[in-house]
Amino acid sequence: MNLERLPNEEKLSLCRKYYLGGFAFLPFLWLVNVVWFFREAFVKPAYTEQLQIKTYVKRSALGLLLWIAVLTTWITIFQHFRAEWGEVGDYLSFTIPLGIP
Amino acid sequence: MSCSPLWVNTPDRSGKRTATGPACHIRRISGCDPACLPGEGRSSFTFSASCNSVEKKIYVHLNYTVPCVRLLNATHQIGCQSSLSGDVGVLHVLESEENLDWVLSSGPNPPYMVILESSLFTRSVMMKLKNGSSRVAGIVVVAPNTNPVEGFSPHTSCPNENTGVYSESYDPTLAHCNVTVWNPLGNGLSYEEYDFPIFSLKDDNDTQVIRQCYLNHNQAVNGSSPRYPLCAMQLYSHMSAVTDTATCMRRNDINFSISPEMVCDPLGDFNVWASTRPLNNTEKGHKMWEKVVIAAARLDSRSFFFDVAPGAESGASGFITLLAAAHALRNVTQEAQPNRTIFYTFFQGVSSFHTIVLNTAHCVHAKYNSVLPLLLMFFCFADDYIVCILCIKHFNDLFQVRKLIENLQSAAAGLGFTVGEAGFSQPLPPSSFQRFLRARQIPGVVIENHQLNFTNRYYESMYDNAEYLNVSYPPNLTPEEQLKFVTDTAKALTEVATMVARALYVQAGGAENQQDNINADRQIVSQMLYGFLVRSNNSWFQQLIPSDLTSHLSKLILNYTSSEPTLLVQYLLANLTGSAINITQENCQNQREDENDKESKHMFTYMWVQGAAPPNNTKREGFCVRSTVRLSRAVSPAFELRDYTSKDYSTWTESRWKSIKGRIFLVASHELEMLTLGVGVGVLLASLLLTYIISSKADILFSSGREPT
Repeated sequence: MNLERLPNEEKLSLCRKYYLGGFAFLPFLWLVNVVWFFREAFVKPAYTEQLQIKTYVKRSALGLLLWIAVLTTWITIFQHFRAEWGEVGDYLSFTIPLGIP
Repeated sequence: MSCSPLWVNTPDRSGKRTATGPACHIRRISGCDPACLPGEGRSSFTFSASCNSVEKKIYVHLNYTVPCVRLLNATHQIGCQSSLSGDVGVLHVLESEENLDWVLSSGPNPPYMVILESSLFTRSVMMKLKNGSSRVAGIVVVAPNTNPVEGFSPHTSCPNENTGVYSESYDPTLAHCNVTVWNPLGNGLSYEEYDFPIFSLKDDNDTQVIRQCYLNHNQAVNGSSPRYPLCAMQLYSHMSAVTDTATCMRRNDINFSISPEMVCDPLGDFNVWASTRPLNNTEKGHKMWEKVVIAAARLDSRSFFFDVAPGAESGASGFITLLAAAHALRNVTQEAQPNRTIFYTFFQGVSSFHTIVLNTAHCVHAKYNSVLPLLLMFFCFADDYIVCILCIKHFNDLFQVRKLIENLQSAAAGLGFTVGEAGFSQPLPPSSFQRFLRARQIPGVVIENHQLNFTNRYYESMYDNAEYLNVSYPPNLTPEEQLKFVTDTAKALTEVATMVARALYVQAGGAENQQDNINADRQIVSQMLYGFLVRSNNSWFQQLIPSDLTSHLSKLILNYTSSEPTLLVQYLLANLTGSAINITQENCQNQREDENDKESKHMFTYMWVQGAAPPNNTKREGFCVRSTVRLSRAVSPAFELRDYTSKDYSTWTESRWKSIKGRIFLVASHELEMLTLGVGVGVLLASLLLTYIISSKADILFSSGREPT
């Protein structure tokens, strides 16, 4: 979809949908929001809806950073300690590697 | 179910392999097209022009590989493990123990794949290699064609140390082999854990190719380091299970992943037993004060490597003697049935783990309700005409034991060999009997061929084979003639079998004057020795089994750890103690004597066997054998109770694996590899740059012929 061809109201509504969608445990929507609307929000010359779009993009970026921090921490801990957790580690795993603890 | 190391993997029956062999372990032994393999005497890597595949030009695959596999119990893992994509190491043929220094510290091209001759396969060398495992990629042991003279036993020096009756709580002075070290040659190698794969190769032409490759490329000349390219070997034996039995059984059971994988299997198989008097299978409980006599032998064995465990002296001699004794008693127990029933039992799982016995003991006790004194006789092997009997100490019913010994001695007296009695201070050797004694105190004896420590120099190793038992045939005999030839070992075992049969008969209450009619048949003993130790695919065994099992008789040497011994012993026992009856094949296979018979299947087992092949090659005439032979599951109670950390019962499991193979090839130096990679990356970048430049100047470069109109 080419954002150039959309009227501004539709751009705003799209941005809002992606922003709200990201709250359903979908941080990728926030990532898409940030990447896609970055130029619209910060680079293009000002227009009426741009302020709202800017807010949404900033909040999406914040949410994205939070998710990245949480996931990175959890993945590091899990990969490091899964073997030591024994039974709990196995029940949390989707695929268990063969032949190594 | 699958692949059980010790005793077979029989599919449904024990949870391991199927009777057809390791179905779960895909042992791919990839071979090169013979036209491409290097010939003898030529250098390893010149190939004929018909071989076009690049892979075949690089790799030479190993044909006969016997790996060491991983076993787990409640607390440990033992055995070997390779990495998932195989371990690669530069070949090094170890010359002496001092030469280990090259491998462990001074060699310039670690990691090394060490090739050991059997004389260097000792505990000290293996422990040093184990400790230096960052520089060791794997070990290949070349198995000699004749047994090593000095003996070799990878088992511990005190077998069944913690599973027998002599424990700390029973008597600390007798525990841990304080009085007698049963297996003094035992170096305990089977029970260590190794980080690298260990394979065994036969000493044949393929191994000579490997040695030649080493001599051509890897040998250091005058102290300088050998130059690249070097000969290397890659071994694959990645084991799926890890840590301990509880972990791997838990991982077996997890079933929400997309591809559930079984990672290990409990060891288990079947015990075989038969009785002189048919028993009703559906009756539970017993008649009060009913007594039985049990004669038992062990059926299994193991070794350091997977699936090569002939167990000639430790197992085969014992159960062959018992089979011969059962056969000797067939006629007399049918005509003049003794007072007490005699049970012939063949136990699996005795070798290290002893669990099976207790399970069977439960089964026996459950049927006969533990208040009965049971008389037991166990024996392992006898030769040289000297048999020692070891007494039990500290048990109440010494009178019964004394009587049993007297029966044995009088039976032996008539046969011309001596039966010695060990003193009271001598503990019992490790045997199934100890497990029974742990449960309750019953009188019995263990018959062995040694007094103080094992005379078997190859206990639980791959060298405990026909050669060790002196089962040898004159040269130039056809297989049929070898089958019929009576060896000296067979004669010795026959004498012992006769003694045991006579003593059993008298012990069971038979008349003493009938003893002279009881004689074991040396022809049968010799045929059994041939079938179990030399070649199982012989005409006699072919007659005794049903037609759908003929493919199980393996080619040359019986894989002792497969389910074949169990099957063969089952059918042999049926043939030797049962009788052929005249009923149709359909009735026989449905376990009934005629259409209306509903009772016989509880008392007897009916088997339809192939029978002899008539000389003019027509179809075989099958017949039905009726006997009292039954199988009972031999798996540790720990798996039935799901208590995988049990201290009372054995918890041994064997890991599963995907592929076991090996190959050799030449490797280049690391610098050359990096250079090649660097040049490649450089060419890539240069081509990208060139493409970008050309594309950005395309209008200048390509517009010369076009004039705007």
